Formats: sequence, structure tokens, C-alpha cells
Amino acid sequence: MKQTFISIGNTLIPYLVAIAASFLAAGLFIGVMGFDVLKAYETILFSSFRSPGAFTQTLVKFVPLLLQALAFTIPLAAGKFNIGGEGQMIVGAIGAAGVGIVFANQPVYLLLPLVLIAGIVFGALWAAFPAWLLYRFGINEILTTVLLNFVSFSVIDYVATEIWGDPAAGHPTTVPIGAGGELPLLMERTNLHAGFIIAVFIAVIVYIYTNHTSAGYELIATGANARASRAYGINVRSLFLLSLILGGAVAGLSGAIEVAGVHHRLIEGLQSNFLLLGLIIGLIAKGNHIGVPFVAFFIAVLEIGASSMQRTMSIPGEMVFIVEALILLFILLSDLVRKK
Amino acid sequence: MDQFDSFIGFARLILLALVPYVLASQGTMLSGRTGIFNVAQEGIMLLGASVGFLVALYTKSLLIGIIAAAVVGGLMGLALAYFSSTLKMDQFVIGLALFFIGLGASSLAFKLVVGVTLQLPRVPTLSNLRIPLLGDIPILGEILFNQNALVYFSVLISIALYYYLYKTSWGLELRAVGENPKSADSLGVNVVLMQYATTIIGSALIGVAGAYLPMVYTGVFTQGIVQGRGWLAIALTFFGGWRPQLIFLGAFFFAIVEVLSLRAQIVGSAIPYQFLRTLPYITTIFVMIYAFRWTRVPAFLGLNYDREKRSLS
Amino acid sequence: MTPSESTLLEMRGVRKTFGSVVALDNVTLSVKRGEIHGLLGGNGAGKTTLMNVLFGLYKADTGEIAVDGRVTQVRSPREAIELGIGMVHQQFLQVNSFSAAENILLGTPLSNRPILDLTLPKQKIRALSEKFGLLLDPDATLESLPMGARQRVEILKALYRDAKLLILDEPTTMLTPQQVDSLFNSLRAMVKSGLSVIFITHKLREVLTLCERITVLRNGKSVMTLAREEATEDTFIKAMVGEEMNIGQSLLFAKSGYEAEIAQVGSKELLKVDGLSVEAASEENQAISDLSFSIREGEILGVAGVAGNGQHELAESLMRIRPCKGKVVFDGAEMTVLATRDLLARGIAYVPENRWDDGLLPKATVAQNLILGSHRHLPYSNGLMLNLGAILKRSQELIDEFKIKTEGPQALAANLSGGNVQRMMLARAFSQNPKLMIVHNPTQGLDIPSTEFVYNKLLERKRTGMATLLISENLDELFLMCNRVAAIYRGRIVGVLERGQFDAYRVGRMMSGLE
Repeated sequence: MKQTFISIGNTLIPYLVAIAASFLAAGLFIGVMGFDVLKAYETILFSSFRSPGAFTQTLVKFVPLLLQALAFTIPLAAGKFNIGGEGQMIVGAIGAAGVGIVFANQPVYLLLPLVLIAGIVFGALWAAFPAWLLYRFGINEILTTVLLNFVSFSVIDYVATEIWGDPAAGHPTTVPIGAGGELPLLMERTNLHAGFIIAVFIAVIVYIYTNHTSAGYELIATGANARASRAYGINVRSLFLLSLILGGAVAGLSGAIEVAGVHHRLIEGLQSNFLLLGLIIGLIAKGNHIGVPFVAFFIAVLEIGASSMQRTMSIPGEMVFIVEALILLFILLSDLVRKK
Repeated sequence: MDQFDSFIGFARLILLALVPYVLASQGTMLSGRTGIFNVAQEGIMLLGASVGFLVALYTKSLLIGIIAAAVVGGLMGLALAYFSSTLKMDQFVIGLALFFIGLGASSLAFKLVVGVTLQLPRVPTLSNLRIPLLGDIPILGEILFNQNALVYFSVLISIALYYYLYKTSWGLELRAVGENPKSADSLGVNVVLMQYATTIIGSALIGVAGAYLPMVYTGVFTQGIVQGRGWLAIALTFFGGWRPQLIFLGAFFFAIVEVLSLRAQIVGSAIPYQFLRTLPYITTIFVMIYAFRWTRVPAFLGLNYDREKRSLS
Repeated sequence: MTPSESTLLEMRGVRKTFGSVVALDNVTLSVKRGEIHGLLGGNGAGKTTLMNVLFGLYKADTGEIAVDGRVTQVRSPREAIELGIGMVHQQFLQVNSFSAAENILLGTPLSNRPILDLTLPKQKIRALSEKFGLLLDPDATLESLPMGARQRVEILKALYRDAKLLILDEPTTMLTPQQVDSLFNSLRAMVKSGLSVIFITHKLREVLTLCERITVLRNGKSVMTLAREEATEDTFIKAMVGEEMNIGQSLLFAKSGYEAEIAQVGSKELLKVDGLSVEAASEENQAISDLSFSIREGEILGVAGVAGNGQHELAESLMRIRPCKGKVVFDGAEMTVLATRDLLARGIAYVPENRWDDGLLPKATVAQNLILGSHRHLPYSNGLMLNLGAILKRSQELIDEFKIKTEGPQALAANLSGGNVQRMMLARAFSQNPKLMIVHNPTQGLDIPSTEFVYNKLLERKRTGMATLLISENLDELFLMCNRVAAIYRGRIVGVLERGQFDAYRVGRMMSGLE
């Protein structure tokens, strides 16, 4: 028991130091700019806990962040970098909204699962193309996944304007999906939707997969040394393919959940900056599937704090983004210090 | 006459569009040749665009803005070199981290200096420099010799890199570092110096590529101004087989696609404009199928060399 | 002649640590002018580390280096080269895509301009290569050159820079006996013309043939320095091994005691390979054509050959890591269509040559490394879910049995030393209880006790009927352990010798395609 506490302590300390150092650096900058540093710290860290509404808001934000992080960390376990979570989310959202609009009259026990499954399938397909390019031609997946992000922007623009566009909206948006496609709320008078449960469930499944199954072991072995894994009978190339498709599926699900739980329609820009935050979360957690949900929650808290800070103190929210990037940098440095 | 104008205009646009691709890609190639694989281009270009614009606005000099962008790019390169060459961290992860920082810092700087306004301040566009005599040649003169300074710079830097890498002994040493750094090290070549120099200079070029965009196209920095060109530059580097002369030629392909896609959106066509906008990205994906099959990559690209690392035993 | 006049190099009190590991401890070395000085010791004794310090690749913690009587600092290879020191490393440091001349000239000041004009330098290269019998085409690309030629490139690198002292680190591992003789002759010619040579090796026989004085290192300490005539073979063995092993009872040194056991072979044929063909996947690969052999239970079949003649292709095609054609029958069943994981399940184990690239999972734990290949079977897994408790328990058992020096099953595998990585790979293979084991250069880079351990394990399993295909570039190893030795040349088996008829020169001729 004592051993476990010591090892947990060992893992947490570098993170605490990294957070402190980043806040210090940002604080200096904020102070130099003439703002109230302590008030800024307080706003960033505690806005989420000021009211029940703020807390549920944080949980709502947590959902896509967690899923985007997993969309990155699943292929990362196999050594592949999926930077296409954004496009996979958008295309998943398109599929989900499409189903939600076309079958709008269906009852909830049919429509909702269909909407979510459509998101998963479309997201998986959007990742399957770069995965296939990697499998067949050996093309580096970083580039192909990123390029498809840009392509997806045009696709959602087209779909939200020409195909199911809502003529009354000033911004590319579709008509709403059927009521049966909406995710039920977990708490009345909040926007905390059932997607939260789904996201946590997915996180648990992913953890069991990577840490407790033979199939998950093969994924990790492939990421550790693909050549050696191949020499011992693991089908490495298939695993690259599979891991990217799974990542795309999870990202597609995040898009479907945004459609079904938050907007109830397809809106251009629904992807927000979830991809970037998801990447940062995945990297800070070093791909560890126990840590990812906790880091995701922490980043959600920071993001809520960022928009609050921008609203109440007029400090640009990008400041928090830089803090998050600095935390990542310090974590990476701390690894080195430990090796010495 | 109309046709000629249209053709000349079209050709000029291609040369204009060429610059960011050439500069960013040559910068990537340069550090890659010593083994440092820079994947932060998108962030460095954004930072270069933002800082370059802001400095040009403040000093009322585009040149100083470009220099500032080069300096900022060089600093990012210094960070990349330090984390990769000295600290030996995973180059992809560091590249992503620098990409995040460039992304955030470029927006932050703009918001802090310009604030949120409806009337965006603008800088004047980069003016053309007409080369005497050559500029008077009909048609060709107008296209090739009446361009802005950075167009000429792109051509010159590509030629210079070619000669440096393949016709000088320093170039031989540089290439050896990316192919077998231990071999170069054991013969007295200063591997660390090469890696730092190429990465700093390369990133400076990438920063300038970013600054070019507001100075030539829009007159102001916006968050979407780079639009993926940083990533496309990586593809171009592979497409050009990591050789400066082929990268320069390959850049024409990217420039033509970009100009065609823009043209079609403006002039109008049967195809919806959203799909035309995807043209650069989709064609690049297909370009990569060729590039990854047929081109040769520096053997030590992306790997970190450690002189004291004990090998087999 | 006073000692100071004839001494070219002195290293005194050299100490070098890597973290908590002491690689060199108060080492002394002194080399005379115009002598071939042998640096002898098992793998891991510190010979390469000492030379890397001399050559400026490593920085010593303490110690002095004196060249020509003057104490100097060697902070980088550039300074070493300026002092007249040249080094031929164990693994050649060459740029494959450059030509031989470009590799040799890299880093040298070429005339006064930086322009790359190679005409004069190439003339000098040709002159040197003729003078010392190191024939070479300066314009050939490295990729196209065979191993012997590549070594000549390395030697010419030093000669081109007017080296006074040439260090060679284990230069004969990739050579046939005939090529070794040729190298020795070249070295003697160089010494006659004024050069001094430090010859690093773990092969006692070579050092006694070639070197006038010999320094023995063991566990990072200099044990003794003697002239060749002043000591017997046994003295040197004792110096190399120390008290760690019982020399009288070891396989390595007292082989006669084990002869009867080694010579024993079962009667049942276990593996039959018929007409194996492998296409060369790229220019660097060697195609295999129509290769046939068989192995009986309890037999150790050796495959001798110079590196690059198809050994990798043979091992990998048998393990189905590489596609191949031909008929393979194992334990009575046709194997040709099975996949690697089926072969592993049926009792074939493989220990690849390159432990780091092909065998180790560095960012994983020791336990995760040990179960690789068996991760879908009991006791590690029920096929779907891993049994973490069983994995930890069995891993600890293997760590104990194979004496792997590590903190435990949860330790990071990247921290293991070379010898322990090999022990782990062997543990992984042996824990499968295979009927057939394919090993490729199993003792490369291992220190003497570890080498002894490997041979003992192979012999122990041989007694229970396990067959072994031992692919090795080390003829001593093959002659010690094998019942038959086949020679492979350019993807074909060109000859097989029975135990009792083993002859190094004959095998050497086969390995060179001359028989």
C-alpha cells in the first residue's frame, strides 16, 4: 500500500511542478501587461467551481476533450500520430446530423443509437483513408490526417449551406435534427447531457483494452518496437490500420455527441479547438489511459477559466492555451531530469 | 491583348504563390539534412506572420517586419535544436509542442497589440522591383523580372542551397551528418554546430514564409492566414526528394494548384467553391503517394544522435 | 633506447563512469613506437571504452594521455586526428550513399577552396592503397562494396590523414580466415613503414599471432601487460577471466570434458527444408536459391558465413517474417503456409541477431518483453485477457533462472545492459520450451561469463532433445558447439562438414565461394 502511495506521489510531483512553473511564467507576463495576476489565477482555476452551472459547463466541455484525447492516444500506443481528430469529428458530426435530419421522425430508441453509430462510422471512415495510405504506401500519417482536416472544413461548409442548410441562420448551420436524436439531459435546467456517461464509458473500455487484453498488448508492443513485434508474430501493419480507425471512430463519436447533446444540429465550427486541446491532453498524460481522463478534466477546468477570464478581465483566452503548452513542455523536460 | 494579360497575370500569380512553399520547404529540408525533422512549420509560419505584421505596422517598414519574422522563426528553431540535438527528445512531440506555442502566441500577440476592432489596420503590400534590361523583355520580363524581392530571394536561396550542398566540402559534411552522424563526428565534423545552424536558419526561412502572407495577400494578420501551407511544405519537401533544386521545381505544382483553385472560386465554375478549396490538400495527398514510394530520405531523419550512447555492448 | 624515447602513447589512471556504472577504473596503457600492441579482454571489459576515450568520443572522468611524451587533452575526434590517431571502429562508420573517396575525405581540408574537387585527393588514395595492399575503387559507392572492401575504406581513412597510431577494434569479426591473414600482412607492412597499431580483440589466438606486447583488461581494470613470449596461453586466459569462472570446468576453455555430450545427436529428423528460395527484397538483401538441409532432434547445426550472404534471409524466412518458396516440414507437419505466430505456438523459437532493432521493446517493462510471442497463450493469457499476476510471477522466475540483472519484472527494459538484454531474449525463447531454436550470433558482444552461460543453456536443452540452428560469424563458436557446420555463400549452402573434420581454412574457402 505504501509503495503505491509513493509511486503515485512520484508521478504527480512533476505535474505539480510543471503547473506551478507555467502559471508563474504566465503570471509574469500578465503582470507586465498590467493585469491583476492573482485575480487571473483565481479566475482560471476556480471559475468551474463557482456555481453548479459552471461545474456542469465544465463537464460538458470535458466530453469532447476526453474523446479527442483518446482519438489521439489510441493510435499513439501503436506509435502512430493521429492529428486528424478534427476532421474525423466534423465528418462524424455530418453523418450524425444527416441521419438525425433524414430520419427525424423516428422514436428516440431508434434514432439516437443510429445518430451515434453514424458518427462512429463516418469518423472511422475518414480515418480509414489515411490509414490505408499508410498501410499500402507507407505514407506518414501525420501529413495525411492533417490535410483531411482542411478538406473536412469545406465539406461541412457545403453540407451546412447547400444540403440541409437552415436559410434563417446567418452562419452555415443545418436545420435541427429530430427530437429523437437528442441526447437526454442528466440534470434538469443544465446542459449536462448523457454524452458524459458515454465518454466516461469509452475511457474505461479503452483502458481495459490497452492494459488488460492480449490485443491491447500487441498494440503497445507495436508502439514500443514494430520490427521486434513483427518478428514475434504480431501483425504490425494491420495494427497501424486498426489503431487509426479506432481513433477515428472515437473522434467521430465526439462529433456525434456534440450534435446530439449540445447543438442538436450541425453547426460550422463545432470542432472549436478540441483537437489541439485533445493533443495537448494526450501528450501531457503521456498516452497513459489512466491519466488521460484526469488531465482532460483539468484542461476543461482551465478552458472554462479562460473564457471567464476573457469575459471578466479582458485578458485574451490564448494566454491559457500558452499555459497549457508550457505545461506540456515542462512535463517533457521533467522526463529528462528523471532519467539523469 | 486580353488573353496575354490574363496569361501574364496568371503566370505572375503563380510566381507569387511559389514563395511561401519554397521558403518553408527549403527551411525544412535544410534542418532535415542534419537529421532534425521540423514539423512545427504551421506554428512558425503563423508566428512569423503575426510578428512580421505587427512589427511592420509599428515601424512602418516591411523590411524590418520581415527581419523580425526571421528572428522569431530563428528563435523557434533554436528551441527545436536545443530540445532535439542537445536534450534528445522525440522530434515529433517537440514539433507539435512548438506548433501549439506558435499558434497560441501568434493570436495572443495580435490580440494584445491590435485588440478587438472592426476596422483592422493594414500594412502596404510588398512592392515590385523591376530588374533593368531583363524586365523589358516582352511577356517573360513582365512575369519573371518584375516581382517583389522575396520572389527573387526564393530563387536565389534555392540556387545557393544547391551549390552549397552538392558542390562544396561543407555541403558534403552537412549531408553526412544527416546520413550517419557518428561517421561525421568521428572524422571531426562538428555535428552539433551543423544541427543548430541548419535548424535556426531553416526556421528563420519558415518564419519569413509566414510573414510573406500578410504582406503580399491580405495586408493584415488573421488566424487562418497560413491555411495549412506549413503542412503542405512538409509534403513538398518529400516530393522534392529533400533536394533544393527539385523542391523549387515541385513548388510550381503546389503554386499552380493553389492559384487554379483560387481562380475558379473567383471566376466561378460549375463545381461548388467548397470543393475547389479542397484541391490543394487532395492533390497533395496524391502527390505523397509518389513521393513516399520513390524518394530517398536522409537516413538519420528524425533520430537523435548521442555521441556517448553505447551501442551494441 | 630509454623507455621515453620509444614510447609513442601513454594513458595513465583513466577512469570513466556512465551514471553508476564504472566502465574504466584506473587503467594504464603504454604503446611503443613501431609495435603492434594487443588490447585483450572479453566483451564489456572496457577495451572499446578506453579507445573511445583516446579518440575523443568519450570524456574520461580522470586520467592523463601523453602522446610523444607530451601530456595532451583529447576533447574531440578532431583533436585525436590532429595528434595522428586514427580509429577503425567495430561497426563501420560510413555513409552508404557516398562514394568511397567521399567517405575517406569527409572532414579533411580540401585544398584551399571549399569547392568539392576530388581529383588530387583520389590520387593520394590510390597511392596509399597500392602501397599497403588495400585495393579499392575510390569512386565505388559504399553500398556496392563487400565487407572486406568496406574495412579497407575505414583503414584508408586513417592512413589518408597520416596517422601515426592506428587503432583497430575487433577487425576480424566479419572476415574469413584468408582475409584475416591478408589484413595481418597489411598491418605488418604499415608497422614496417613507421606506424604503430593497437589491436583490440577478445580472440586470444589472433593476439598471440600478431602482437608483440599484450595488455589485458578485465572489468574495466588493466590486469597485466606482457610481451608475447613472456607468458603462456593459460596465463592470458586467467587474466581475461579472473575468478568469475571455473576455467577448468567451463565449456569454453575445457571443451574436451564435454566432447562426448556435444557429439551426441538424436535419431529422429525434426526439421527438413527443401528448396528454400527467398527473393531479395532490396539491393541490400541477399536472395536465397534452392537451399536444402535437415536437422535431427538434439542436433546443433551451424551455419557459417561472412555477414550478408543470406543469414538474415534464411532465419527470417524460416520464421515466416519474410516471404519464401519451398517446402518446410517440421515435426512431421508441413509448415509452408503457416504464419509466424503459429510457428511460435508449434515450438520454434527465434533469437534474432540484432537485439535492439529486432528484439527489444525499450519503453516496455521487462515482463512485457518476456511475454512477447507468447502473449496469447497460457499462462500469460486466456487468449483474450491478460493474467497480470501470472505474468509477474513467471517473469520473476525467468529473471532468476537466467540471472538477468534488473530491479524486477516492472523495470524498464531500456535500462538493461547489453549482456542482460541477450539473457532476456534467451529467457523469452527458452521459456517457450521450443523443440527447435534458431539463434543468430547469440554471443556477439557478450562478456565471457555470459557467453559461457549461453553455451551451457544450449547444451542443457540439447540434452532434452531440442535442436538448434546456430547461425554465427564466429568459427570458434561453431566448432565448439555444432555437430555439423554448413557454409553459406551468396544464398546457397556450399558445403557441410561433420564434427571431427572441422577445419577453419576449409570453411573459410567455402565462405568465400572458393570451394
